[in-house]
Amino acid sequence: MAEQTTEQKLVTLKINDREVQVAPGTLVIEATRRIGTEVPSFCYYPGLSLQAACRMCLVEVEKMPKLQTACTLVATEGMVVRTDSETVRQARKAMLEFLLANHPLDCPVCDKGGECELQDMVFRYGADTSRFVEEKLHRPEEKWSDLVYYDAPRCILCFRCVRVCDEGMDVKALGVGMRGVNSIITPNRGDHLECEECGMCIDICPVGALTSGAYRYKTRPWEMQYVSTVCTHCSNGCKTTLSVRNHEILRANNRDLSGINKDFLCVKGRFGFDFTSHPERIRQPLLRKDGKLYPVSWEEAATAAATRLKQVFDSAGPDSIGFIGSNRTSNEENYLLQRLARASFGTNNIDHHRTADYAGLLSALGEDAASKQLTMGDLENAQSVLLIGNDPTDQNPLVAWQIRSAIRHNGARLYILNSSEIRLKRKATQFVKLLPRQEAAAVRWLATGQEPLPTDIVTALTSLKAALEAETDLAIVFGSELSGAAITQLAAFASKLSARVRFMALGDYANSRGAADMGLLPDRFPGYAHLDDRAAHGSFEKLWDAKIPSKPGLTAPEMVEAAQSGKLKALYVVGANPLLHFGKRDGSRGSLGLLIVHELFLTETAQQADIVFPAAGAYEKDGTVTNTSGELQLLHKAAEVMGPRSDFDLLRILSHQLEKLGLGKAFHYRGSEAVFDEIRKTVKGYDVPRAGLATGGAEQSRISISRNGHAPYDVPANLIRTAQDTLFTSGTLGRYCTMMQSLPESEPKP
Amino acid sequence: MQLSPQLAKRFESLENRYPVKRSALIPMLIYAQDEYGYVSDDMVDEIARRLGLNNVQVEETLAYYSMLRRKPMGKHHVQVCTNVACMLRGGYDILERAKRRLEIGHKETTKDGVFSLEEVECIGACTGAPAMQVNYDYYEDLTPYKFDRILEDLDAGRKSPPVPVITGALHPRHPLETPLISKRWGIPNSRSIDVYLQHDGYKALEKALKQMTPETIIDEVKKSSLRGRGGAGFPTGMKWSFVPKDSPKPKYVICNADESEPGTCKDRPLLEMDPHQLIEGMIIAGRAIGSHRGFIYIRGEYRYVLDIVDAAIAEAYARGYLGKNILGSGFDYDLLIHTGAGAYECGEESALMESLEGKRGYPRIKPPFPAVVGLYGCPTIINNVETLSSVPHIILEGGESYANRGTPKNGGTRMVCVSGHVNKPGIYEVPLGFNMKRFIEEVAGGIPGGRKLKAVIPGGSSCPLLKPEEIDIPMDYDSVAKAGSMLGSGGMVVVDDSTCMVDLARRIMHFYAHESCGWCIPCREGTTWLRKMLERFHAGDGRPEDIDMVGELARNMLGKTFCPLGDAAAMPTISIITKWRHEFEEHLNGRCAYKQAESLAGAR
Repeated sequence: MAEQTTEQKLVTLKINDREVQVAPGTLVIEATRRIGTEVPSFCYYPGLSLQAACRMCLVEVEKMPKLQTACTLVATEGMVVRTDSETVRQARKAMLEFLLANHPLDCPVCDKGGECELQDMVFRYGADTSRFVEEKLHRPEEKWSDLVYYDAPRCILCFRCVRVCDEGMDVKALGVGMRGVNSIITPNRGDHLECEECGMCIDICPVGALTSGAYRYKTRPWEMQYVSTVCTHCSNGCKTTLSVRNHEILRANNRDLSGINKDFLCVKGRFGFDFTSHPERIRQPLLRKDGKLYPVSWEEAATAAATRLKQVFDSAGPDSIGFIGSNRTSNEENYLLQRLARASFGTNNIDHHRTADYAGLLSALGEDAASKQLTMGDLENAQSVLLIGNDPTDQNPLVAWQIRSAIRHNGARLYILNSSEIRLKRKATQFVKLLPRQEAAAVRWLATGQEPLPTDIVTALTSLKAALEAETDLAIVFGSELSGAAITQLAAFASKLSARVRFMALGDYANSRGAADMGLLPDRFPGYAHLDDRAAHGSFEKLWDAKIPSKPGLTAPEMVEAAQSGKLKALYVVGANPLLHFGKRDGSRGSLGLLIVHELFLTETAQQADIVFPAAGAYEKDGTVTNTSGELQLLHKAAEVMGPRSDFDLLRILSHQLEKLGLGKAFHYRGSEAVFDEIRKTVKGYDVPRAGLATGGAEQSRISISRNGHAPYDVPANLIRTAQDTLFTSGTLGRYCTMMQSLPESEPKP
Repeated sequence: MQLSPQLAKRFESLENRYPVKRSALIPMLIYAQDEYGYVSDDMVDEIARRLGLNNVQVEETLAYYSMLRRKPMGKHHVQVCTNVACMLRGGYDILERAKRRLEIGHKETTKDGVFSLEEVECIGACTGAPAMQVNYDYYEDLTPYKFDRILEDLDAGRKSPPVPVITGALHPRHPLETPLISKRWGIPNSRSIDVYLQHDGYKALEKALKQMTPETIIDEVKKSSLRGRGGAGFPTGMKWSFVPKDSPKPKYVICNADESEPGTCKDRPLLEMDPHQLIEGMIIAGRAIGSHRGFIYIRGEYRYVLDIVDAAIAEAYARGYLGKNILGSGFDYDLLIHTGAGAYECGEESALMESLEGKRGYPRIKPPFPAVVGLYGCPTIINNVETLSSVPHIILEGGESYANRGTPKNGGTRMVCVSGHVNKPGIYEVPLGFNMKRFIEEVAGGIPGGRKLKAVIPGGSSCPLLKPEEIDIPMDYDSVAKAGSMLGSGGMVVVDDSTCMVDLARRIMHFYAHESCGWCIPCREGTTWLRKMLERFHAGDGRPEDIDMVGELARNMLGKTFCPLGDAAAMPTISIITKWRHEFEEHLNGRCAYKQAESLAGAR
């Protein structure tokens, strides 16, 4: 906030004899942090409402008779603040003595020990002896859900949990019960919780009052290593810090408040990591013999895969083979897969399960795409938001969080077009209720004013249009309901508004955007270059020393249909479950001759494969991913699972096997960084600064598309399909997130 | 949930009464409880649904207020006050008798479900101490004998008549008194609008509406040197002038009738005997700040008083003193009375507003002050009953004349309710600046039984206590402050030399620990740990180091808590441990030197 107001006159105050300049309205506690002076606090938490309850941040201010709470005191010109006087030190010590009076000193068995803010503060400011002899108030620990436990005596009543649940999450599952020293935090169902199970309350708790059922009593914080990576579930790309001991992930959180999501994580980000150690993980290559899958050696599987692909290639030609990539694997892996298809096999039969029309959006924005894309950070700072389709609370939790933050912190207006009464409705300035699948028509009406729609919707859209015309800064966020031409029309409508408009398309899965950007598309190269774009075509042919056809290939649904009907002889699937998603005839492989799959688990597709390669999950490898808003982040390997290998490794092995058989060139990338180096050169807009990535940040890719006279990208209806994921599901992978699946809240609602 | 017709009707009217629906929450809970004896799960759901809240929001509010309960209590809920004023006159003996007779303890119910017992904090009957309530009925000047008779009646299905008005108000006027706002007390049916009109009623309103402007009203009040009678003594006219004139938001006037400072019971007679005086004062206040709606927030225990005031409000509407176009002036004003549900903290102005909004009574961060951001985020003035009741007189006789009744900067008269060890406990009206010593000796009739004065609580238990040699001072805000205490709420408690000061400190801290809202750490933990220490100390298990530690802990609270409740707990404690330190030292030999000690230890 402060950075935005630098044009205003700054306020100069003195803190411990040091002059500090801050923006008007800055709280003294923030001003002290600016100069690296620590003023301790429990209840103060940036982004949440002010409490002044813990009284830890008392400071001395000249001309004020009493000590003041730095968390509520606004810095004014000429203010003289002392944070280090004897009075202040004494007050802090007194507050800590009061706090510890009832706080059990069970640090040795407390999960928070070692990372407890109270422990740290007592270490720094507190008294070393307890003077009280009376008995402490005791209450038994309560289990609120499989994931949330509450230990009332440890609770210092800073109300962070209550505020984050209400103000941050808009769930309001926590309240305060009783009064005075008996005050406790209470869950919404009397003795248990029924909520989103996001676990925000656990992580925000400064002490060990709220602990995680997934983590408690497993280890001590200093026994773990901390690996920051990107959540592998939805497309929002939250940074998550995995706590790892003995190569096993024990916890996920984001306590350093870094990354695009700061401290936000949903239930999937925080608890959806246990698939890595699920007993059903495939740990050895499997080969079908006599109709059954048997574990075989790596050599046998790799040789079989290469040989059989070569046979199909030789007998039926390049276009008899199809490749379906993943929207969870890294950019590098996606890039390699399309290289394998295009360069080694010479086919454009490559696609993935598309959940948002990124190609459509980028092509609609054309040359301006780079500057018209909305990052997660932009969304939080937006002045107004137009949300079309989707239910971000359920499907894109970070997007919902950012929208709520924009409303809470900037008073942003939210306009919603949706066919269901989604939960964000209660935060909306205007909500236009549409009929199912009417979103595109509503957008056409906005763009052209000529679309047959019921009168009440036209009335609502008219006032919406007027409201949008009055905005100066607008973030447009839309779901899979809009694709192809509808997006072009949306962009056209937006271009007529006086506001600065930026866009975000909402897809599903962790790297959907990366899959599209990396050219897992039958009609586009990496970076969305047209197959018949001579310059691009030529440079890729040169780079990969291969002949690439310029005829578009089959889309994923077409490939599955062709495979089932036997028109396609071989299907190579990486981290996807296309027979379930696109397959007809009960999702069987039909007459498909050869099915090779990279997978973590025996999904419906993997079960029918001829060869299955055990693949590593996102938490088990390095690389980069791109979130739905086009922001690039680094994956860091956290867990080590015996057996599986990364898709990068698998593709590299296959390329070597194929080269031996005279098909294509072996991949000689030393690691995923080398692939990323190549991507930075070949994909315009991916040459982002490395420093930002290396320090755990996100860098916005800046893809822009020169249409060169081509029509805007359009896709057939139904090609873009949402995964219909909720907070508690995550495609096929979600089924193996045991902790999440065991929650009563994960049961599908009637 | 199926509601009785009368409750359904009450709910409907409550739901539509307030600018924001949620404000109806506490009244709905308490009226539901009146009918069913407690608030059931179904009732929580029903009320949540009606107010568009979720259950957590209802439960949070419910859990905060000590009068609201989630489990049934007895048909006759016996609530015995043992706070300082009652304690000094045998409140613990009544509690003991109750426990023995009913064979139940604090917050327990007899097996047949007929009686339940609760030791309660000050119920505003200090001049009739010791006192108790059975459900909402007040019984005062109790003795164990009288207590038995009342319970026998209840056993027999009869009801002993409760006090019609507070004990100690309708005494013969002392010649040194200067009745102004209490001048109608004792006139038969003084609470009715007809009697009020016969005695200058609504004349000030007519003057204010027809001859004065909002500015001149505020000027008169400024000239009167009227200072807040709730306890803090802030100049009333200045408070009113802080309301921004150009605010587009509605403005509100709140009357703080949450009288709950221990030792204080002077608003209760003002409400029950002269409600129209308050109503008139509120309309004038509304006119002064441009407000068209007022609220009287009355403590939940004063239910019969609420009904009296509510009837007076209805009368005023019927006669055109409330509602649209009052007295043809074009000025509109609506007024409603709102019940609390048992929380001392709600006497703090911002906590009161939270409570009036249907929330837990947590105080708010200041600034902004209520005059700018108050009820529902709108500019609000909030004044005590006595303050607002003084306003008609200021308007009628002029600010200067009113000011001259008192001393410079301390205008007017003051209600003093004196309780404890005096011959004539009661509520008296004297000029500000009246000598405290003389007041105790002459007006209140001196100390009974040849005892000697030991200590005076000048204005509610939050004030530092004064020693006999410190009380020869004028009772005005500045003089009492100079003597190291506060004029406070007017609730004077006189303590004679039969009293154990350790025990008094213990009882005072017991109150603040019970009433601490729990918001901030120093008050929440400080009051409770001090209570525990003082209990142990008084019971004879004190350690020499405890004496300094009590003072130190109290000082660690002082000035560091979120709201003044922490100071209110710290100040009397510090004064007692400083001025009567020797009594603490004497306790170290193992037992309390004062007679009541045994029964007190037993009472716990």
